[in-house]
Amino acid sequence: MEGIVLALFLCLVLALITKYLSVPVIPFYILAGVLLGKAGLGLVTSDVISRFFSEMGLIFLLFFMGLGLKPERIAANRSAVLTSGIIDLNVNMIIGFVASYLLGFSLIESLIIASAFYISSTAMAITSLIENRKLMLRESETVIWLMVFEDLILIVFLALISAGNQNLIIFMVKILGVLGVLYALAHYGKEFLISILDRDDELPILFTFAAVLTTASFSMYLGIPESMMVIALGVAFATTDPDAFEQHARPFKDVFLVVFFVFFGVTIDFSGGINWFMIAIICILAIVSKLISGVLTGIAIHGSALSGLEIWGNTIGRGEFSIAIAVLYGSPLVGTTIAALVIVTSIIGSFTAKYSTSLRRGIMNLGRKKAPSHRVHTGR
Amino acid sequence: MFFIISLFRRFILSHIIIYFRIISLMSAMSLRSLNLPGVGTKYEFQTDKGDTVAIFFTKTGTIQMYTLQKGCNTPSAAEMTPVEARRLGNILTGAIIEADQESVEIAFSALADLRVTIHSFLIPKAVAGRTIEDLQIRAKTGATVIAVCRHDMNIVNPAPSFVFETGDAALVIGESDQIKMFEREIMVD
Repeated sequence: MEGIVLALFLCLVLALITKYLSVPVIPFYILAGVLLGKAGLGLVTSDVISRFFSEMGLIFLLFFMGLGLKPERIAANRSAVLTSGIIDLNVNMIIGFVASYLLGFSLIESLIIASAFYISSTAMAITSLIENRKLMLRESETVIWLMVFEDLILIVFLALISAGNQNLIIFMVKILGVLGVLYALAHYGKEFLISILDRDDELPILFTFAAVLTTASFSMYLGIPESMMVIALGVAFATTDPDAFEQHARPFKDVFLVVFFVFFGVTIDFSGGINWFMIAIICILAIVSKLISGVLTGIAIHGSALSGLEIWGNTIGRGEFSIAIAVLYGSPLVGTTIAALVIVTSIIGSFTAKYSTSLRRGIMNLGRKKAPSHRVHTGR
Repeated sequence: MFFIISLFRRFILSHIIIYFRIISLMSAMSLRSLNLPGVGTKYEFQTDKGDTVAIFFTKTGTIQMYTLQKGCNTPSAAEMTPVEARRLGNILTGAIIEADQESVEIAFSALADLRVTIHSFLIPKAVAGRTIEDLQIRAKTGATVIAVCRHDMNIVNPAPSFVFETGDAALVIGESDQIKMFEREIMVD
């Protein structure tokens, strides 16, 4: 218990500092965990309570993501979502997978690293667009929809990887059954849900907490991925009053997620022979592959490679979802690799997001200067 | 009669914001609104001269306004709190804003272009201690006091026996002539 208090206090200080400097806080939470945990001073160890808190953090993160996914809105923007999304998926998944396989990870490990390698941090991308005042750029919309597409892929990935060695038909029937129940609840119980959310006593927040926990534990009991079902719960609830649910789930998400990040750092262990060279290669590739996918997307959607540079600048940071994948499915070695990936890309990403516009202007000016000077030379 | 007036006052108070939105939406012909997942709502429109203005109501509660001059690539942006944004809105609708006093004119295009003005006044010393009835506000000016703000507390629809204190801010509704009359007759009293 003292461990959690110590960790939370350190995180509070870090949050204050990073907010003041406007850099993403997630990598620092993980670093704080590494410092306090096994790999560092050994002051904090994970126990039953911290594991429960971390699990809550993950579940509420995914529930929150589900609330933001509005299927009808995605359907209305299908073409924009699909083109950029498919380029991003293919380029990054393939580079991530091939690289980790060549570096000696097993097939399944490579797949897990590739997914963490592919999925950018929605929180970081959107915060960067707002804080760096880029919302009006046409590339912003592309980035926002790209994040939505990545969320969708994450759902598919969660389903695929947890299906693993079960009987596929029974597995699908169970999933569809729970999905049906969730949608029936949201559809037929809509008035009831809204009447609960409208109250100003403790009921709305108690209901939100209980609904998320019940869904998660019921899914575990049935042997289907609770992560996916919690997202589905969010999507179903988003058809009633998503803003109210967001408001009631936010305190749980904000606190538990910090515990989740710190204790992810705490469990990281360097003693098992970490290959820093391998990790460095993956981190560099993670930045390069988003550059490739960004430039291709820029050319495909905005007809300009420079637009791609802007997309790249805002999508480098990997964050919450990469860690979620590492925690759910990763071995210790995979976890350490993904932790390093998140720390490096999110810190570099915060700089590229801040300076991508000046970088872009610089390249444009360079191009302009070159052209006339060339003409002068040929004139002589 | 009083009942009708108080009903009207209540109606106006509760509908001001809604009508405001409708009017501003109607006047911007090429306005485009868009919901961006995770970000908030975007409103964008192009002026006749080709400049673009975009407003984002972000989920963090701030409002960002971007302006992009025609033929220019990089927009400039301003971030505002909701209070600042409302202030900007009042300036843009052509209301008078002084240090502590502001005024909003609302046009109801469906009601024969009915225009009403709402103006806030700081109560001067001369008026403090007197009641609404005593000041004969309605008889002298035609305007009506619809709310008084006292120490960050709002008193909506004050009764005729309401006594003003120094430091009060009164919200007065009427036609612009009646508001001017109020300023001349009551505030200087």
